[in-house]
Amino acid sequence: MTIPLDPTITPPGTSRFRDAGGVPADRWRAVRGEETLVATHCCFCGVQCGMYLRVHDGKVFGVEPRDHDINRMRLCPKGLNAYQQVNHPDRLTAPLLRRSRTDDLRPVSWEQALDHAADQIQRVQAAYGRDAFGMLGGASLFSEKTYLVGKFARVALRTRHVDYNGRLCMVSAAGANKLSFGIDRAANPFADILLTDCLLIAGSNVGECFPVMTQYLWGARDRGATLIVVDPRETSIARTADIHVALRPGTDSAFFSSVLHVVVTEGLADEAYVAAHATGWEEVRQAAAEYPPERAAQICGIPAAQITEVARMFATAPKAMAWHARGIEHHTQGVENCLTVINLCVATGNLGRPGAGYGTITGQGNGQGGREHGQKSDMLPGGRSISDPVHRAQVARIWGIDEADLPQAGTSMMEMVHQMGRGEIRGLLGICNNPFVSLPNYAVVKAGYDALDFHAQCDFFLSETSANAHLVLPVTTWAEDDGVMANAEARVVRHRKAQEPLPGVRTDTWVMCELARRLGVGDKFAFTGSEQVFEELRVASRGTVNDYYGITYARLDETGGISWPCPTVDHPGTPRLFEDGQTWHADKKIHMQAVRWHPPADPYDDEYPMTLTTGRTVAHFLSGNQTRRLGGLVEQTPRPWVEVHPSHGYASGDPVTVVTRRGAATFPALVTDAIRPDTVFVPYHWPYPVAANELTIDALDPRSKIPEYKVCACRIQPAAHVTAVPAPPVPPGHESYAATQVSRGDQHPPTSSQGRGTSEP
Amino acid sequence: MMGRTIIIDPGRCIGCQACVSACRECDSHRGKSMIHLDYLDAGHSVASMPTVCMHCEDPLAPCAQVCPAEAILVTPDGVVHDADKSRCIGCGNCVNACPMGVPKIDLKAKLQFKCNLCYDRTSYGLAPMCATVCPTGSIFYGTVEELRAERPNVAVASTFDFGGNLLTTGVAMVVPADRGDVPVPGGVGQPAGPTPGPQPFGSVPTSADNVLGEPL
Amino acid sequence: MRPVIAGIVTALVLCAAVYTGSRGLRSFDSALVPYAVASVFLAFGIAYRYTVWISSPGARRLFRKGWGAALSWRNLRRAPTALPRMIATYLGFQKFLGARSRARWAAHQLLFWGCLLAAAITFPLVWGWFTFTSDTGAGPTYTMNVWGFGVLRFDALSILGWLLFHGLDIAAVLVIAGATYFLVRRMRDREASTGQRFGYDFVPLLALIVISVTGLLLTFSSTLLHGGGYEFLAVLHMAAVVLTLLYLPFGKFFHIVQRPAAVGMQLFKYTGAGQVQPCRVCGEPIDTAEYVDNLRATMRDLDLRFDAMALTCPRCKRLQRGQAYRTEVKRGF
Repeated sequence: MTIPLDPTITPPGTSRFRDAGGVPADRWRAVRGEETLVATHCCFCGVQCGMYLRVHDGKVFGVEPRDHDINRMRLCPKGLNAYQQVNHPDRLTAPLLRRSRTDDLRPVSWEQALDHAADQIQRVQAAYGRDAFGMLGGASLFSEKTYLVGKFARVALRTRHVDYNGRLCMVSAAGANKLSFGIDRAANPFADILLTDCLLIAGSNVGECFPVMTQYLWGARDRGATLIVVDPRETSIARTADIHVALRPGTDSAFFSSVLHVVVTEGLADEAYVAAHATGWEEVRQAAAEYPPERAAQICGIPAAQITEVARMFATAPKAMAWHARGIEHHTQGVENCLTVINLCVATGNLGRPGAGYGTITGQGNGQGGREHGQKSDMLPGGRSISDPVHRAQVARIWGIDEADLPQAGTSMMEMVHQMGRGEIRGLLGICNNPFVSLPNYAVVKAGYDALDFHAQCDFFLSETSANAHLVLPVTTWAEDDGVMANAEARVVRHRKAQEPLPGVRTDTWVMCELARRLGVGDKFAFTGSEQVFEELRVASRGTVNDYYGITYARLDETGGISWPCPTVDHPGTPRLFEDGQTWHADKKIHMQAVRWHPPADPYDDEYPMTLTTGRTVAHFLSGNQTRRLGGLVEQTPRPWVEVHPSHGYASGDPVTVVTRRGAATFPALVTDAIRPDTVFVPYHWPYPVAANELTIDALDPRSKIPEYKVCACRIQPAAHVTAVPAPPVPPGHESYAATQVSRGDQHPPTSSQGRGTSEP
Repeated sequence: MMGRTIIIDPGRCIGCQACVSACRECDSHRGKSMIHLDYLDAGHSVASMPTVCMHCEDPLAPCAQVCPAEAILVTPDGVVHDADKSRCIGCGNCVNACPMGVPKIDLKAKLQFKCNLCYDRTSYGLAPMCATVCPTGSIFYGTVEELRAERPNVAVASTFDFGGNLLTTGVAMVVPADRGDVPVPGGVGQPAGPTPGPQPFGSVPTSADNVLGEPL
Repeated sequence: MRPVIAGIVTALVLCAAVYTGSRGLRSFDSALVPYAVASVFLAFGIAYRYTVWISSPGARRLFRKGWGAALSWRNLRRAPTALPRMIATYLGFQKFLGARSRARWAAHQLLFWGCLLAAAITFPLVWGWFTFTSDTGAGPTYTMNVWGFGVLRFDALSILGWLLFHGLDIAAVLVIAGATYFLVRRMRDREASTGQRFGYDFVPLLALIVISVTGLLLTFSSTLLHGGGYEFLAVLHMAAVVLTLLYLPFGKFFHIVQRPAAVGMQLFKYTGAGQVQPCRVCGEPIDTAEYVDNLRATMRDLDLRFDAMALTCPRCKRLQRGQAYRTEVKRGF
């Protein structure tokens, strides 16, 4: 019998403080008066919430809400924890190099690293041709850097193979926008949502992926608007929506065509608007007529009456608005899906008015800006086409090169991976992406990258992809450099440098300029900082659709951000498009496109009867290389899970293997009524062997080349035990910051898709 | 009810836990989160609810009343503070007497922690961290008039009914405008199984966090 | 009325102890009378305040149960080392403070041992319980007497002698270091400064610093300035000490008297029948059965009629409240 010296019992959960896994990187500090607040924006999603970074003694150590009119002080858990990346112990601070993949990565000097990279680029290009060296950028880079990625590939590498991870994200919407309107951006600002009478959200888990945008949804409802949510899962916004259309994944265009058909047959279409402003209406109407509600209901697995209900609610609202995201875009018919939403808005005359319009919610911070200025395989700055001789000549003149030296259009990101596997691309420079987690069909991706003769990757944490590279160059986080991003509203916002880069770390701009100098084109890359790059970007976009010429750092500092097009420095920007009913096509009309639904690429059969769909959870971002290292977020959602309907007989926590034609992975089951019985869901932020993207299909939309992440055929089966989550990679000889990883070993699924409750065991 | 106070609407909550991360950033207890976020409907829906200290007014602060060490101060503005660090003996009376399930406790430090309405902010006229960042307005800070200016169709209630015993709080809940002046249920429903009496130590399953030392 | 009686009784007992311990005031130093008077008021204050404190239901129940457990013959037999070990770790080395912050623990230890040392020297001197006598009248060999009995002969020029005569200076240095840390923390740290009150949080620290600094200056004056300013410093020092002693029971210092309740709480919780109370909803342990019963009785004393809710764990309380809101108020938006 001993009497315990220390107390032993507390009720469940009362001694959990969600303390971010012990002391964060730069220690908790709460000292009066010795800090500066740097006004900037979040590094994560396309909402681009304003925030202040708290800086003490030249180090970012905290965050403070900022009353910017995008977010009005609100922030999500990712944004609140974002600052902890800046001085995180896992940061890379020296270039890492190895000659072959059998060696360990070893720290080298910047001189050695860059010289080696330049040698390898020249060697690969001399042996296999210029196009054998590829480059992949990212849409979390500042716009200046995305511009530089495109310019570096075309002018320094002179390769046609350049693309970016927005290919996995935004391109279906971009394709549909270009086809319909000749301009690629959301038509209305967020603030217009507050003025609408009926809001339709298609394929977007706004409450988790864009939490701060939810205030606009709720604000509209407070003013009496109705909410329609189209999503196979009952997400937090679908839970309380007026209508939740829980359709089968991959059937969106059938649903929207059917809605349009009801609108037409019930005489709810705005024929006058369509006649005045659109072309192609007759073909669209005929195509929609092929989807009467009964047929669409069968395709989509929903009641036919719901389709009629949605049509009436949307079409009879004085002002209606539709926003969509990856849920309808990540399909082999991603562009078509978006077109059906556009068709619905146009047919009901809901465009170009306050509270009436259309938008796509960009997933990455610079998902909008990142696709505008030339890192896309077929595009040049200012949204110009690389195949258009006029555009080519303009850009060649701006860059001071011979047009003949400007490469032609390349291939998309997933196609480039296939080309790596075939030996057509032998070398690669990656900046700001993590395809080992983010691309579909992991086995193919790994094989493609493994086949590279030389692979260099720029990163601030060692990602799963860079851990597999020959050369890793440590670059800055968003808080260590200046720049701009364009959010989902196409509003260009200014990010400010809050602290000097950590010792040993350089900006992506510096890396590209230094490499260009070694490749003999230093004169085209004589940039000392972001503002200089932005000045060139302004000029390069002048007179184009994506006109940034009127936007300057000084103007951004004076305002809360400016929406392009902004052709002159006294132009106020363009928050809302199509107010005069005119588009950017030559005939100024909306080009409506007829769409016919087709089944997803991965066929169902007896062996693979169910649907796997993938997506995000609120605590993590994209490939998780950032958020899986932040203690608070790891505690909230330590691991992936598979969401299954109770009808399959599993209990929450049971190990369940999801099998597709490409692979199998085992997760704990989160059993919930909030998902269709024929569908399972796996969040994709974690790497092999708990990666959703081991399972997904690398089938591409023929137009946008977006992979079909959101639907593939699968089956589920019981397993013996769940697979452990690997630690985030760190350089050899280091260990990932242990205090943040405490709950990673947890075997349980979260209580709900948003994570574990604060008192959950 | 206090003039400017927190008003909670669980119906708007999206369970994102921004409040949990924000609470950790509050300078008065930086590094430790005091707010609770519970998923109410596990297995059926993603419904969730945040819980901050309700700053009970009548009966006044049961946590402070049961404290054997006089450690919980209630200031004249109605704020029920977290435990005075020099006095708290970590007995847990407040933890279990609170009908709302609010206080937390660090047994090793013999110290209770609870929401203090971000007193470092609210005493200077700023909103608490959780209400400042809440992406949905589920946690609102302001007066009832300010709330109704933004949301015309709501009323607030600040009286709870715990099986016939009423408790009036400083923090309010949003209720439908047509609900009338009825107390909000405090939730003392009967448990599913028979109520267990005291059990020998070791016979009760424990989650990892509520046993720290060696057993008796 | 009871607190006043308790205070008077305690004060009288102290007076009697002083009278006896100083051999009928023969070894009482009349220069220290103001201190002695203050200590009598202190005794009154502490007893008064303690009685007020334990008259509240929560404290009263803990007082009975805690002392009952601490003085229980059964506990002493079962675990004879528990009480001394707890006193050492809780009250002496204050391990729990280390769990809050290591720096605060270190600073508090300086304060604690400094004050303890000073009290151990000064109170017996003031009460005439300790005296130092010299056969020669002027040293260097002295005899230390306790209650008039010689217990130690020592050379004033030896190390031991130096330590005995400079014990208060050492204490002052410890206290100044600790109190300065806390003072700086109160001025810089937002956690400490949230809701802090001058009278409650600053006055105790300032008092300790004033006492220690004036005490050190007295030594400085007598050893280096040949007594320059000694009179003034002595009055200042005395005023600071007297006021601090009078303030002690009514401000932050009262935690010194309250803290032993932590030992009682711990003993009473874990020396009962060895049973735990599970949550009536989820079945997870809430606390020991003795503790929960005690809490419910306290709540009933206070007319908090929802005492049965103590049988539900906090998480289940919140879940039930949230679920009730969903079913009876509104489910969604």
